[in-house]
Amino acid sequence: MTQVLDHDPKVAAPPAKIPRRSRAPYLRTIGLYAITLWALVTVVFFLPRTLPGNPLRHLDDPDSGTFIHDPVERERVAAYYGLDKPLIDQYWSYLSDMRRGEFGWSISQNQPVSTLVKNRLPWTLLLTGSALALSSLISFFAGVTAAWHRGRFADRALIVVLSAARAIPEYALAAALLIMFAVTYPIFPQAGAHRPFATYASPLDQVGDILFHLALPLTALTLGLAANKFLIVRNTVISTLGEDYMVLARAKGLSRRLLKYRHSGRNAMLPFITALGIQAGFAVSGSLFVETIFNYPGMGGLVERAVFARDYPLLQGLFIFLALAVLFANLLVELLYVKLDPRVRRRR
Amino acid sequence: MTATMATRPPTPARDRATRSTYVAGLIGAAIIGFYVVLLLFGGRLAPFRATELAGQSLLSPNGTNRLGTNLLGQDILSQLILGAKASLTVALLAGFGTVLVGGTIGVIAGWFPGWFDAVLMRVTDLVLVVPKLPLLLLIGAITGGSVLGLSVVISLLFWPNAARILRSQVLTLRTRAHVRAATGFGAGTWHQLRRHILPDLALLSVAEFIPAAGRGVGLQAGLAFLGVGDPTLPSWGGMIRDAVAFPALFITPAWKWWLVPPVVALVLLIVGITLLGAAAERRFSPRLARHTR
Repeated sequence: MTQVLDHDPKVAAPPAKIPRRSRAPYLRTIGLYAITLWALVTVVFFLPRTLPGNPLRHLDDPDSGTFIHDPVERERVAAYYGLDKPLIDQYWSYLSDMRRGEFGWSISQNQPVSTLVKNRLPWTLLLTGSALALSSLISFFAGVTAAWHRGRFADRALIVVLSAARAIPEYALAAALLIMFAVTYPIFPQAGAHRPFATYASPLDQVGDILFHLALPLTALTLGLAANKFLIVRNTVISTLGEDYMVLARAKGLSRRLLKYRHSGRNAMLPFITALGIQAGFAVSGSLFVETIFNYPGMGGLVERAVFARDYPLLQGLFIFLALAVLFANLLVELLYVKLDPRVRRRR
Repeated sequence: MTATMATRPPTPARDRATRSTYVAGLIGAAIIGFYVVLLLFGGRLAPFRATELAGQSLLSPNGTNRLGTNLLGQDILSQLILGAKASLTVALLAGFGTVLVGGTIGVIAGWFPGWFDAVLMRVTDLVLVVPKLPLLLLIGAITGGSVLGLSVVISLLFWPNAARILRSQVLTLRTRAHVRAATGFGAGTWHQLRRHILPDLALLSVAEFIPAAGRGVGLQAGLAFLGVGDPTLPSWGGMIRDAVAFPALFITPAWKWWLVPPVVALVLLIVGITLLGAAAERRFSPRLARHTR
């Protein structure tokens, strides 16, 4: 219907207007994400401070063993940690620290949070990035194929297998894969991201080793991510199959591949990209579980250790890093969406 | 009208797909029923208390410990049975909370269009992109992660989906003749909502409740697996964590009775909820399986 309207000369915009695209949708999107980030950072700051108790309670409490008798000394300690200032000033210095790239100091590891994250973030990005990419490839081709053979065995089998994969939590899937392919049939390594203390003959060797260790965690993460997008692609493609342009394209004698991917599959791109953006968050949280199961040296292990030690500064810093990664991925996708879909620009 | 259509039992003979969804829903309900029995009678069914030392360390399954023992000599079967409570409680509370929060926001946004609706939908957009697991981890770790607290936080993070669907349903209901007629007779907002809107949302809310409950199960186990939550409460996620944290798990055969049972229990429950949810959505949702032909 909309396509008909688009070609209606009365409705179509004059050509002169097209080059002057408004930047407003981009700015609005960026603004929305900026607000989200600010809200999250603020929640993280105020949440522990609204809870009962405070860090200096044991120093102020006359009954405690660590009570400081000298009030001047007590004030000095409070001033040292900045806890004598009003909450709003503390909030302000928290924000400006963050702007300078200081995300706090881990109590349990006695290191800056940013250093800890720097060592581990690449592995998480490798795992989540490759899982998102691989699941995109799989789901797109599987989705188009299933739609093409809808109702037949391949379609049904794909739906059942992938729906099951979507329902099962990543840690359960990871544990199952670990048991099957690293313990019962020890084809793949059980843990780690590379051979410990390995020296490689060539860079190719190293890449091979890393991929070998990546295989199982990647599979565990990819299956769940692929399922969601698969259903979206399949359903969108099915809805295009009866369209007039498909009939025309077929009548023109176009090859099957052109029909499948150019004429029909292309329509699935927009919902596909939307799903991909939403999945950035799923991928990150899923990788935390998968990494823990496979002892992969990414953020997952760090999160687990921070929870175990109740290392709040580290947890806060990790949360902010993860939130930044997820929001950034979402933002990219949404900007891409505005660029790809002219309707988003025209409407709203 | 839709409500009567939706409540009419399906005619299975005519539609093979509907019938298979129906059967899947029954299987799902049976699985959930089994777990509810575990929840209700778990205390009597479990041969030991969850933390009780029931035998030697890492016993393989035997007459006393039907599923063996873990590293500390605790009975796996008892932990498995008693773990149903944590999962199902969170499922119930988080599912209910999600629908409550989402429904309230969705109905208000749908009934009062204009700036209020616009603001609420912006907030919904904001909440949708929040990285939820990291935030849950942080809040859970700071507040202690009790079952109730966890459910509240899950509800506050996952309501947007339900809000959107219920809002759009309210928007279509508003334009129905009987609602407009009632407005014409001078019916107030409260009367309208109570008599004409909410009853029509009941079934749709059930369809939203079930996946929300499933998500609650997954999240509770996931957080327990990462170490957030009450450590004295037996839970399948905690069992998986204990097993995986044992360095020699895969060198010994212990994984067979220590790691596998909680994973199977969890997956079975989630699959049951998913099957029931798919059936409920097919029956209750106005978007009725347009795509799942």
